[in-house]
Amino acid sequence: MSSEQVIQGIIGGLAIGCIYSLIALGITIIIRATEILHFAQGELMMVGAMAGLSAMWMTDLPFVIVLLVGMIGGGVAAITIELSIYRTLRTLRVPLINVIISTLGVSLILQNAARLIWGSEPLRYPPLFRARGIDIAGYAISPQLVWIVIFGFVMMALLQLFFRYTRLGIAMQAAAQDSEAAQLMGISVKKTTTYTFVVAGIMAGAAGVLLGSLFFASFNMGFLTGIKAFVAATLGGLGSLTGAMLGGIAFGLIETFSGVFISTAYKDAVGMIVLIAILLLAPSGIFIRAGRRV
Amino acid sequence: MQSATVRILVVVLFVAAPFVQTNTYWQHVFGVALIGAILALGLQLLVGMAGLLSLGQGAFYGIGAYVSAVLTLRFGVPFGVAFLLAGAAAALSSLLLVPIVKLPGSSLAVATLGFNIIIYLVMLNEEWATGGSYGMLNVPLPRIFGFELTTERDLYFLILAVTGAVYLGLDRLTHSRFGRALKAISQDEDAARACGISIILYKSKCFLVAAFTAGLAGSLYAHHARYLNPNDFTFNKSIEILIMVVVGGLGSLPGAVIGAIVIVLTPELLRSSGELRLILFGALVVVLMGVSRGGIAGLAPALLRSIARFRAPASGKAVESAEVKQ
Repeated sequence: MSSEQVIQGIIGGLAIGCIYSLIALGITIIIRATEILHFAQGELMMVGAMAGLSAMWMTDLPFVIVLLVGMIGGGVAAITIELSIYRTLRTLRVPLINVIISTLGVSLILQNAARLIWGSEPLRYPPLFRARGIDIAGYAISPQLVWIVIFGFVMMALLQLFFRYTRLGIAMQAAAQDSEAAQLMGISVKKTTTYTFVVAGIMAGAAGVLLGSLFFASFNMGFLTGIKAFVAATLGGLGSLTGAMLGGIAFGLIETFSGVFISTAYKDAVGMIVLIAILLLAPSGIFIRAGRRV
Repeated sequence: MQSATVRILVVVLFVAAPFVQTNTYWQHVFGVALIGAILALGLQLLVGMAGLLSLGQGAFYGIGAYVSAVLTLRFGVPFGVAFLLAGAAAALSSLLLVPIVKLPGSSLAVATLGFNIIIYLVMLNEEWATGGSYGMLNVPLPRIFGFELTTERDLYFLILAVTGAVYLGLDRLTHSRFGRALKAISQDEDAARACGISIILYKSKCFLVAAFTAGLAGSLYAHHARYLNPNDFTFNKSIEILIMVVVGGLGSLPGAVIGAIVIVLTPELLRSSGELRLILFGALVVVLMGVSRGGIAGLAPALLRSIARFRAPASGKAVESAEVKQ
């Protein structure tokens, strides 16, 4: 193991970790607002990847625009399923487990609709960054990875700012913490819940473009990634924003390094063993202060 | 008395199915549906009765399948013995989960899912034992008391018999002290503990029983499909089993059976719709989740009740007694 491999591992792990973080953040804000384990989150990511790719097929676009298209794609898909399905289910007052199972149905619908539209073959993303390897302290690093890390961090910072400084963001936080009190303060919890799904969809869409640009886009890229993001969110402490971010990055690093150090065949297993160990030692996740309700 | 008639009708229906449908492909599908029913029954105990959201049943299913296949194929163990050992091996491996059963709701779901992923990777990568991604070919047909079960119909009846036994076993279990303790735990854990119920012990026992049934189902699958591949035992399988249970109706054993049959047969029936098949299936799951709280099993009584209510002006008392029965 040379130091170059370590550096590359760190950058690669950070890049994939940022992607997990973006999806995990969506999962987290949905859990906070509605207690729904959103199994279709990975599919929103896939829709984002496909939307960005389709935009690039039409015309040569700069990366930022592709990212925006992916975000819009994820957001539109999210608001569609929220308004047509989840809101209806909530109005019908079905038990939570029914809503959770319905998200699995939604995941199936989105996957197969995407297969109808974009076909079942993995689609290669055109190279988004024309620059050659970047030199960092004498090590050649793929610019792709560096950009993914940068964009990932920017997105997460923007989300934090949104929750801290905008009226809507604060209202969403309030509604998630105590929906009754929020309602008494004049916040429409119905609306904030819908916006929660939109924000989650946007984050997932961005993750989709980033992940697509790293490998490829395909109709079934979402589910396993979504599950891993779930694990990442649990790792950090299900229900905490910081936890989701750090959990995603930690999971990305664990996965990458266990692939390098231990075995590529068992790299996913290492992540899961770490997860189970952490759940046992610190049931509320590693990044949560003890005593705080998640 | 009414329920006795229903029971007899159901048994007749299940026994008659392979005689009415003589197409061997469909007979095979019926067998698959019943294996699904065994899996769903086991998970019903966990999710429906004890309120433990587990996404790891696919792992125990796989363990049972591979243990049974390896024992019969490589060591020439008779099917009956391999079948029971498959269940025992799955149950034994569920003891690995004892430390995590105390985790709350969604953490438990994610942890069991992680367990499923680990077991899947072991099946995929330990080629010396499982054949890896090439899979395991030519698993022998089951042989019972010297008779080899060769036709799809024979296999169907074997699976049906096991399904019946599992159903009756779980039915007895849920109506025993054990079942009542589970109900207490799922309703209020602290109160149950105060009543002297050891939570971890009961939860672990639930996992043990559910894993045992999943192991039996796995053994049946191995000798029914006669080809094993690790991809049959991913967490997707676990999720599919959970869908069966919830679609059928949480907390209801007949619901688990109905759910499994619906979830296995619907994609087959929708085959003619080609590429739209899985979209329609997903939509069906969503719609079922919306129309009924208790899944399909909850839907039937609700329908009967609304029919009774429709007739209400004529006989108000009939409605009352129907309500009371609920």
